[in-house]
Amino acid sequence: MRDRWLKYVLILPAALLVMGTTIWPLGVSLVTSFRDWRLTRSLTPGPFIGVEHYLIALTDDPDFANAAKVTAIFTLVDVAVTVVSALGLALLLRRAGVLHSVTRAVLILPFAVSPALVGISFRFMFNAEMGVFTWMAGAIIPWLKGFVWLADPVAALLVLMFSDAWRWVPYMTLVVLGGLAALPKEPEEAARIDGATEWQVLRDVTIPALLPVLAVVAILKTVFALKMFDQVVTLTGGGPGQSTVTLAHLVFSIAFRWYDMGYASAVAWILTALLVFLAVWYMKLILRKPGGH
Amino acid sequence: MADVALLNVTKRWGGFVAVRDQSLAIRDGEFMVLLGPSGCGKTTTMRMIAGLEEPTSGDILIGGQRVNDLPPRDRDIAMVFQSYGLYPHMTVGDNIGYPLKLRGIKGAERDAQIKAAAAKVELGDLLHRKPRELSGGQRQRVALARAIVRRPTVFLMDEPLSNLDAKLRVSTRAEIKHLQHELGVTTVYVTHDQIEAMTLAHRVAVMNQGEIRQLDTPEVIYDRPADLFVAGFIGSPPMNLVTGHHGDGVFTAPGGFRFTTRVGHHAGPAVLGVRPEDVTVAPAGGGDLDASIYAVELTGDAVLVTVMAGEARLIAKADRAWRAEIGSTVALRLDATRLHLFDAATTRRLNPEAPR
Repeated sequence: MRDRWLKYVLILPAALLVMGTTIWPLGVSLVTSFRDWRLTRSLTPGPFIGVEHYLIALTDDPDFANAAKVTAIFTLVDVAVTVVSALGLALLLRRAGVLHSVTRAVLILPFAVSPALVGISFRFMFNAEMGVFTWMAGAIIPWLKGFVWLADPVAALLVLMFSDAWRWVPYMTLVVLGGLAALPKEPEEAARIDGATEWQVLRDVTIPALLPVLAVVAILKTVFALKMFDQVVTLTGGGPGQSTVTLAHLVFSIAFRWYDMGYASAVAWILTALLVFLAVWYMKLILRKPGGH
Repeated sequence: MADVALLNVTKRWGGFVAVRDQSLAIRDGEFMVLLGPSGCGKTTTMRMIAGLEEPTSGDILIGGQRVNDLPPRDRDIAMVFQSYGLYPHMTVGDNIGYPLKLRGIKGAERDAQIKAAAAKVELGDLLHRKPRELSGGQRQRVALARAIVRRPTVFLMDEPLSNLDAKLRVSTRAEIKHLQHELGVTTVYVTHDQIEAMTLAHRVAVMNQGEIRQLDTPEVIYDRPADLFVAGFIGSPPMNLVTGHHGDGVFTAPGGFRFTTRVGHHAGPAVLGVRPEDVTVAPAGGGDLDASIYAVELTGDAVLVTVMAGEARLIAKADRAWRAEIGSTVALRLDATRLHLFDAATTRRLNPEAPR
């Protein structure tokens, strides 16, 4: 009898910890998303209103539509830039050599910087009066002199993408380098001998063999781009206007600026559903047995 | 088709010399085997011909033209790799057709050439499979078909049989020999397997430590090895090598080993070599040397008799019906016309005129 229960007793603390810190808040937020609860009016959750929050978000909320659009554009460009840059840099760094290995070691550094600090640093570097990037851009392209990057809706979004690429591209380059190192070199050599130019070798042999790794990079980056938050807060604050408000930032605003906990929970769950879907796809992809389908 | 020449080629990686100032002329249509242990420079030599490695110094000529500065794609060569080097995401047909596609050969003509090449290596009904669905032998056939499909001037083969099982190796070996004969394309073939070298080559270049130690036909390599390395590397079981002293036409070794060699002109430390099949075991008192039986091993087609003659241990190849007790005394007869005498200091052969 004692043996039968002991194993459950032993995992109970861990189970309680996970329940209390993860499962319980998740459950509460899911339930809250179906209730009307504005902290400005009541400290306790209000009545159940069914799926109304979800309907409003998906059909009748310009703020949500804008954040969804910004997130989609940000994600598409960010993922494309990351995959292409990481592949390009990895191909350049593939060769052996002292300079190459030093560069590879340095690549991990941007990823070690906290994303919130990345945002703050970039805000200073794009400052209209003293920003080093503002100055450099003006020095290289004269008509950009005096341009206030973070005051322009399109430019602000570009700067946000740039800051995120700066943080992620080096790390993803290392991932692609790992993939390249695992490739057998004979097929590439065979292609060179068969008459392929370097570009044809890349297109016909290297990239097809690297597709599983590139897919992992793309999906992983998509997940992180969809939940973009830190740099929005510290770099653009969502502005100018609402031009850089992402879904994650919108959830934050609804909940902790406008105190509409029910609606915030619903928007958060829409984002979560999207992320879970991608995460499951990602897990399937990386856990797939080599050679199998 | 073309001849291939290496002129004073050296390949160095930092302080390591992979190939040391070597020259080699391969004739048009010749089947040249580069043979040697791993790390001897044979693969590096082939990769320099292919253009996958750049020589540190020296020139490489294909068809009389210096190709040092040409990328592999402009050298009109084809190569078969040890691990096949197939394109894993392409079908067998697309693998074979890739060199044609790169040359702009399209549609029906390409299909016809793919089919012809596949038929030559008996791959006809596998064209729509992916390489991973094939066995090792089938994969190597795909690699061969891809090499022959566009009629290159030179074939390069880098240990193409090493990843196949023993039985398949024998049959594929014969197919490669037949194919090379039929197409008449100059072929450079790298292997560490002496049987492959003996069976396939018109001429063999035996390499060790970045140098060609002997370049000749398989017969000469076997019958008149140029130095101790070649003597010990070629032959299975290996040649018996006895270290001793030579003078006045007589070879002596510790423990009473004494043999008249009829090689008159050398005096000093020497190594006597004799192949196991040139040693005959006779009843005691009936031969050149007295010996005692150390071991008797039946291999199926022969009996390997290990004997002690003085302090030297020799292996003799006897008829498969031959039997003896371990420890019993016998006599050895060495075939004096097939003896090999080497200078112990320089390791070079001393009796080049030995008859075959």
